[in-house]
Amino acid sequence: MTPKLPLADCTGDCSHPEVARRDFLFAAGASLFVVSIPGVGIAQGKRADYPKKKVALLSKLKKGEPVEFRYPWDHANCGTVLLKLGRVAGGGIGPDKDVVAFNGLCPHMGWALPAKAFRADPGIAGPCAGHLTTFDLTRHGTVVSGHATQGLPQVVLELDGDDILAVGVLGLLYGFHDNRAEPK
Amino acid sequence: MELPLYERRDRVPLPPKGATVRTTGCAYCAVGCGYKVFTWPVGTEGGPAAKDNAFGDNFPTGFEGVWVGPNQHTVVSVGGKPHHCVVIPDPDATAVNPGGNHSIRGGTLALKCFTATGPTKDRLQFPQVRVRGKLVRVGWDTAIEAMAAVSKHVLAKYGEAAWGMKTYSYEFFENTYAITKLAFESIKTPAFAVHDKPSMSNDTAGIDDAGIITFSAAYEDFKAADVLFVSGTDPYESKTVVFTEWMMRSKAKMIFVVPRRTMGVAHAESKGGLFLQIVPGTDALLHMALARVILERGWEDATFVREWVAGAWEIDSGFGRGSRNTPWQWRTTWGDIGAVDFAAYKKWLLAYEPAALEFAAKETGIPKEQIVVAARVLSGGGGAAERPKATFLFEKGNYWSNNYANTASMASLALLCGSGNRPGRAVSRLGGHQRGWMGAAPYPREKSPERLPGRRKLELDLDRWVEKGEVRFLWVIGTTWTGAMTASQELARTVRKLTVASDHQPTSDKKDDIVAALVRRADAGGMVLVDSDLYPVNPLNTELADIVLPAAGWGEHDGARCNGERRLRLYPKFYDAPGEAQPDWWAVARFARAMGFAGYDWSDGNAVFEEAARFSRGDVLDYYPLVWRARRDGKTGHDALRALGTTGIQCPVRHEDGKLVGTKRLHDSTLKLADPEGPTTHAKWLTAFNTHSGKALLVKSPWELFADFYARIKPDPAKGELWLTTGRINEFWQSGFDDLRKPYLAARWPTNFVEVHPDDAKPHRIESGDTVRLTNDDVLIQTGGFNRVEADELRFSWLEKNGHIRIGKGAVEAVALVTPAVVRGVLFGYFLLPPNPFNALAHRVPDPITGNYRYKLGKAKLARTGESPYKADRRFLSFHRRDVVG
Repeated sequence: MTPKLPLADCTGDCSHPEVARRDFLFAAGASLFVVSIPGVGIAQGKRADYPKKKVALLSKLKKGEPVEFRYPWDHANCGTVLLKLGRVAGGGIGPDKDVVAFNGLCPHMGWALPAKAFRADPGIAGPCAGHLTTFDLTRHGTVVSGHATQGLPQVVLELDGDDILAVGVLGLLYGFHDNRAEPK
Repeated sequence: MELPLYERRDRVPLPPKGATVRTTGCAYCAVGCGYKVFTWPVGTEGGPAAKDNAFGDNFPTGFEGVWVGPNQHTVVSVGGKPHHCVVIPDPDATAVNPGGNHSIRGGTLALKCFTATGPTKDRLQFPQVRVRGKLVRVGWDTAIEAMAAVSKHVLAKYGEAAWGMKTYSYEFFENTYAITKLAFESIKTPAFAVHDKPSMSNDTAGIDDAGIITFSAAYEDFKAADVLFVSGTDPYESKTVVFTEWMMRSKAKMIFVVPRRTMGVAHAESKGGLFLQIVPGTDALLHMALARVILERGWEDATFVREWVAGAWEIDSGFGRGSRNTPWQWRTTWGDIGAVDFAAYKKWLLAYEPAALEFAAKETGIPKEQIVVAARVLSGGGGAAERPKATFLFEKGNYWSNNYANTASMASLALLCGSGNRPGRAVSRLGGHQRGWMGAAPYPREKSPERLPGRRKLELDLDRWVEKGEVRFLWVIGTTWTGAMTASQELARTVRKLTVASDHQPTSDKKDDIVAALVRRADAGGMVLVDSDLYPVNPLNTELADIVLPAAGWGEHDGARCNGERRLRLYPKFYDAPGEAQPDWWAVARFARAMGFAGYDWSDGNAVFEEAARFSRGDVLDYYPLVWRARRDGKTGHDALRALGTTGIQCPVRHEDGKLVGTKRLHDSTLKLADPEGPTTHAKWLTAFNTHSGKALLVKSPWELFADFYARIKPDPAKGELWLTTGRINEFWQSGFDDLRKPYLAARWPTNFVEVHPDDAKPHRIESGDTVRLTNDDVLIQTGGFNRVEADELRFSWLEKNGHIRIGKGAVEAVALVTPAVVRGVLFGYFLLPPNPFNALAHRVPDPITGNYRYKLGKAKLARTGESPYKADRRFLSFHRRDVVG
């Protein structure tokens, strides 16, 4: 079976000629199978935009040495691990398209994936200590093997000179109902 | 089918206080985790404050709180109005998946539901008839009355065996009861088979013959054991929560016997367990060698053998070896197999050449030293004051290769280790699907045209009967049939000839025209094919079936069934079935009435459930006391079960001391029974083994019954042939009918895959991500041999010599995953993804004793055809190893 490819090819950084990266990442699926009955949307109300946060300097990164920060909020569930993989990754930035960042809670049942569980070689996070789920850091955090009902949420990065900025999240953070609703 | 797109959402609506909440069980694997379903009208939503949502939790929640993932939400129709629907593992579950553990399949159950504009929009919604090759919509009356008219003609002219059924065995008691009532009581056809085998034979006859009921264990046994012998499956990949919640949390040393290093194996090894990486098809040799090592060194559980293994007198007294005039009795009295006492078994095994350690090591590929270590771990090696509690668990890698001998030899090994009737010492299947079979009447073996030597009636092989042209009308319910059977493409070719290639096709959607054409087809030697299903199935109903009926499934009607530890729960309706789809019991009843059969006037699913309860009496899944008690309490059976939530009750259900009591495990010699009340029965096998004496039987496992077939199918490396074995992975359930419509899972696996060892990939220059073609031009298909007389007629070589074997072909395509996880010389892929299931490359020659296919022993040549887009496109697939630990 050779299925039709749903979206345009993504060969590394998922950049797209027609739209800016952020638009692409967040809008690509917007017209898809989310809302099932015509005219009935998920009431979203007014939602804050993702904060733009400087999280690291590209020049300081070393392959396999994680940088930890919280994003998008200063909340226990928002622990994020940024890693230079040394190999091209989906959503990767930098000259080698190899710098990626992911949330550090396993979306299976919320167990913490410590920074040391993020391994540049072979580009995997996990196995989660809870139930052994592993995630592919080169492929947008998709489950390699295991039980999570979504991939590991990928924190979207942008480069501004040497500054690495976190600008959004792909996927819902564990424990959240809305990434953009600031925890009280 | 076009694959759906996957959007990674960053928000999900929360159920508000007042949302309707129901408990249910997972739709998928045998474990049957408990789930909660929340539905509420679109236009409202709960808030993040505890007081504003149905969970009573503040969001963001912490580790202990409830969470809803984006793939756990959808929008469905309830009473014709759009409703949000959230399906999450029951956070309050106390059984099976305490605390809300779940698999990737069950965790995404919400996406299974029908949505008019989503990926599930192609559900079958209306009855259809194929007119001039194209399916057109008709009413239920037209479809059913046409079926009945053709059926009456076929039954009158050609007899019951020309009217067949092929059906799932597990989609709720209500449906299977109605189906078997029709087939076995009203029509009395022997041409009947369930989804995973060609006949109604035992799944694991060797285990049954020993007196062990295959789903005897409780999940807590897996936690209580000291050693877990896991054969032919990695439950991590296929019955997930039994592994992650019960086996993984145990201190037991695990011994895995599989050809691939999977995550469960890797975990076991990291904890000091053993990995016996076996060449497919050789399990019986390993079991016998283990037993021989144990017997030679006196490591057997002598006390248990003395107390619980039948001696010569117990074997021969009364019907000693099984119910009279059944295959069970024949097998256990037949010299080559026959139940024997311990002394005779020991004498046989110690002198039996195929049981020698050297022979086993050579054929299984497992080093001698490792076999001895495994024997020591299983038995305690004679040294310890207390023997280790050994539990034996197995699935289809074991029993879908050399079915009888593998299961018989494993049962004997387990008995020598003292396992089978005490906590932590279980012998049990882990299960594929859940246990939803409720037979209304016995299979009419006396009407079967198939015989074992000695003119003993054997259950009919439906596929071979179809190939022979003996079936004129066939109703398939809820299975892909051709894909699910071996030599799939050959079977589809046969069915094509009998149906769409016939000269006799309906030319209009008028009932009389349909009936006239289909009767002419049957009379011309063709076959009329009806299919009931949820979705278009390639090729069964997209191309082949004459009449296609839309079924209502999980969540669309009230149904009940048990999980792999016999736990009965209600799976309630919570949203509207699409279009005119109806539960299969309804379609069967409508058809039976059109046929003029009495007893099909059920008003709802509960009426079927309550009627079926009486037919469960005395069996393993006996739930009659539940219904009896419900009636006394003024409730319906379904409502009584509903009240038990995700905990349900383990069958057989008993009524003792004024209340309902579940049965944790079978053959439990430690179980104390109170006086039975009402319709409660205390079967002997509650506390003893399932034999006449209550003691287990040692049965022999002759390699010769399999050796000639095995020699014939062994791949020839000089010809570039490799074993092709198949199995499950977490991300797919059965044919992937739901998973390929779940955008998240479709992105993970947009296509089938084949695992190739680097040494096997190298000559073809195959890398991970390349597309490959697997072919087998030597697919063996048994065509005759229905009536066997002499004992040697069971052998493959007799079939071949007498012209009962034809050679067919199969070819499939997949994306290669090059990995040392699979043993050299063996390819591994998922068994049942349409339209090119890997089953197409496995032989269709069933086990001669039990009629089961050897699915896991396919053969293939490999060729690189190109490069898949997924190699570069990182939104799909993953080429990392799946067995990464630590």
